[in-house]
Amino acid sequence: MISRKASLVLVGPALALMATLFLLPLGYSLIWAFREEEADRWGLGNFAKAWEFYSADILFSLVIVTLSTVLIGIFSIAIAGYLTLGRIPWAVALLRWLYRWPLFIPFVVAAQVMRTFLAKNGMMNNALVELGLLTPFQTASFLDWRGIVITFVWKQTPFVTLLVAGAMASLDRSMIEAAQNLGARRGRILFGIVVPQVAQTLMVGLILSYVTMMSVLSVPMMINAQQPTMLTVDMAWRINAYGDYGVANALGFIAYLMTACVTWVYLRKELRERGAHAR
Amino acid sequence: MTSLLRSGLVGLALALLASAIFGPISNILLWAFTEQWYFPAKLPQAFGFSFWERVFRPQGNAFASLLNSVVIAMMTVAVSLAIAIPAGLALGRGRLPLRVLFLLVFLLPQAFPSLAVHMNIARIFYTLGLNGTFLGVVLVHALQGMVFSVWIAAAAFAAVDPQLEEAASNMGATPFTVFRTVTLPLALPGVMASAIFVFLISLDEFTGTYFVGVPDITTMPLLLFTAAMEGNYQIASITALLLLVPSIGFMLVIERFLKADVLAKVGH
Amino acid sequence: MAPKIAKLFASVAMALVTTGAAHAETLYVATGGSQNMVDYVTDYLGPLFTEHNPGWTVQAVGTGPGDAGSQAILEKLSAQKDQDVWDTDVIVVNQLKTAEMVEAGLLQKYRSDIKTGDMVTSDVSRKALGTDVDGFVMPMFSSQTAIAYNPDMVEQVPQSLEEIKAWASAHPGAFGYNGIKNGMSGVAFATAWIYAFGGDAAKLIDGPYDKADEAGWDQAFADLKAFNQTVTFTPGNAGTLDMLNRGEIVMGPVWVDMFYTWQADGRLNPNLKLMLPEPGMPGQPYYYAIPAKAAHAEAARKFIELATSPEVQAEGIVKKFNWYPGIDAKHLEGILDQASWDKLFTDVSPEDLAAKAKPFPLGAYFSDLLEQYETKVSN
Repeated sequence: MISRKASLVLVGPALALMATLFLLPLGYSLIWAFREEEADRWGLGNFAKAWEFYSADILFSLVIVTLSTVLIGIFSIAIAGYLTLGRIPWAVALLRWLYRWPLFIPFVVAAQVMRTFLAKNGMMNNALVELGLLTPFQTASFLDWRGIVITFVWKQTPFVTLLVAGAMASLDRSMIEAAQNLGARRGRILFGIVVPQVAQTLMVGLILSYVTMMSVLSVPMMINAQQPTMLTVDMAWRINAYGDYGVANALGFIAYLMTACVTWVYLRKELRERGAHAR
Repeated sequence: MTSLLRSGLVGLALALLASAIFGPISNILLWAFTEQWYFPAKLPQAFGFSFWERVFRPQGNAFASLLNSVVIAMMTVAVSLAIAIPAGLALGRGRLPLRVLFLLVFLLPQAFPSLAVHMNIARIFYTLGLNGTFLGVVLVHALQGMVFSVWIAAAAFAAVDPQLEEAASNMGATPFTVFRTVTLPLALPGVMASAIFVFLISLDEFTGTYFVGVPDITTMPLLLFTAAMEGNYQIASITALLLLVPSIGFMLVIERFLKADVLAKVGH
Repeated sequence: MAPKIAKLFASVAMALVTTGAAHAETLYVATGGSQNMVDYVTDYLGPLFTEHNPGWTVQAVGTGPGDAGSQAILEKLSAQKDQDVWDTDVIVVNQLKTAEMVEAGLLQKYRSDIKTGDMVTSDVSRKALGTDVDGFVMPMFSSQTAIAYNPDMVEQVPQSLEEIKAWASAHPGAFGYNGIKNGMSGVAFATAWIYAFGGDAAKLIDGPYDKADEAGWDQAFADLKAFNQTVTFTPGNAGTLDMLNRGEIVMGPVWVDMFYTWQADGRLNPNLKLMLPEPGMPGQPYYYAIPAKAAHAEAARKFIELATSPEVQAEGIVKKFNWYPGIDAKHLEGILDQASWDKLFTDVSPEDLAAKAKPFPLGAYFSDLLEQYETKVSN
């Protein structure tokens, strides 16, 4: 065992890096959001401007990310549930091999992939037309809010599923088997027994996805950088075109607020449980 | 009969899922080798390698970006391991007061939208002269990978059986020898996993590089982004393809590196 | 520390590859604008400069299209303001940001020191959106926006913004442009809209600035907001061309030079056509300028002298990249063949250009226009 002092020394460099590269800029971003450079004073001016310019985008971001999170939750429960309760061995094996493909594909690649796939005359519509399911006049481009949601769900579902399926696999099978013997339907077993026991893992996965999606720049830029668009695009625009850190940080502050609500729930729960563990 | 029907339905659902996953990916393959594709043709009118030649022409920036990406990723791994191994050792084996809090501190960057932090890092780096330098980009990437490198390293060290260490130290080995000959080799697969994780994160990182590296340092994801925004679908697809290979390769082998015993201890 | 080492390695490596010259030096060029401008320096101008000046290599960095790309150069220079030597030798920037750089004292006067300096007499070589930039700049080229369309899908081609407005509402989703955040062709369309519907365009271009002239904008922007409901948004200058090519839109504003270059490249359907609607659309030059404390100012002047020589303007700017020349057209006579010259005017005639090519408005109006687009149209 390593002594207390040595432990602190060993963890020191990592903490120092965290402090300078994360806590410091985070602090700055919170402070600069209230700094009005032009008027040379402190106040809420940046927030007023942010709201005047981008109120639609603020709501748009919230709706997009929330909707994506919900869909990711539904799909990951469905996939992980089938992996746990599925009765056809080849289908379970195939699904296990299949669902993980997008897991480590970077957002910028996913965005490019989807941009060519979901376009009005992209591969998806072309295939549907070839199959006779659509006529060329019915095709529509999905490169708007739907494109962003589809890309987010495509990219993040495997991550949450991986966590949830792992948690489901480590459950005690006896209860599931008992329920099966009693003739319970699989839907009831899934939502009555399995999901409640993995709820926490699911929450963690969804919260991490929520925060990640809130800060992705490449996907909205490449799929739908126009009105309305996500906050990240506006932040980059304020800085790149105007060097306007005040409004950009105000938008960042708003993004923090939107994530703070969900992460607070998680952190509190985590702390309580881990605190109990430690004791 | 019903079981046959059920198999059919399951098969159909899987086929739909497969096309949802592989459709977009195969689309990239098609574009990467397209020479000409005018509306309303359903498939490219000409295939070829001329865009590959253009991407990799000596004056072009693809080679430089590829080299930058790999060099930055390796430097990021070095920096991350240098701080994550001691930190992991302390968190996995040490006696830290408030250990839970320490673990959670490393999770914090995942709890805040990173873009807002990145743009302020860029502003601070400007004053330090770190913007547009390799060091600046490496530091930002190391921060991104921190929670994974530290947590996985901590789990890997925690999974090492303490009795083996005790046995070694009973035979008179110094603490450092114990670490070098027993602890580290046993934890090595987990440490390797964290290294690969960090490598991949750095290779794929976009937002931080966009603010801190541009325009002096271009990495593959940025090259892809620029090409995509410029409407160079072929060039963007070729770059995307190059980035897909390590991502999918890692996805296929991850379970070999991250053994269940380590995985179970991640974040605990 | 690290960048110096990296640059050292880069220049050493380049020197070993390109020449065996005893002393090798690198000229650093930062260029805003779309990828074609970076390609122009990397593939054409850079090698040519090396040929004329053995031992020198040119390293080009692209900072991206629109105001954002030129703003990046502005920030790069201001960040080094207190240092004795700056790391960029030649910059290529748009009008709005050039004006800001001249006002901030970030550039040096050089036009009278180069031989080609008196080959430009146009207004844009003296004024950038109302700001005096005389002596600080040489126009690299001028370019013009126009409306591109697919004649197979448009029966009656609209000839004015008024008709475009009507056509777009009759064909939902068929008109596409890139808003104002991703490149200047969308900005140009928004500007053209204000010129057409927002009041006196000549006043916005010539000044003097008076906020009262913006009285008509509210209605124009409200109409633009309604118009935006019927259009498709494209991801950028190139995105508009790309969506035209893929048949996803039928009409949209584009840069004339990019349009011809893409057609020559086989990246754009050869059937597509251009037109310049009433009352006109804006165009702009990009400027060559030298930072006040450039490390290689002497070489930078040589570079710009080469870049604005009639031969390079004819061969590189007009023939290879389809821009209108930056220097006065008369200097190109006898150097450029008639066919290449005519190619520039395939769809948009010189008479059209004389009547309907407009500059962007004065800086102050321009900033107001962009701000109000965000508050009144996109939000």
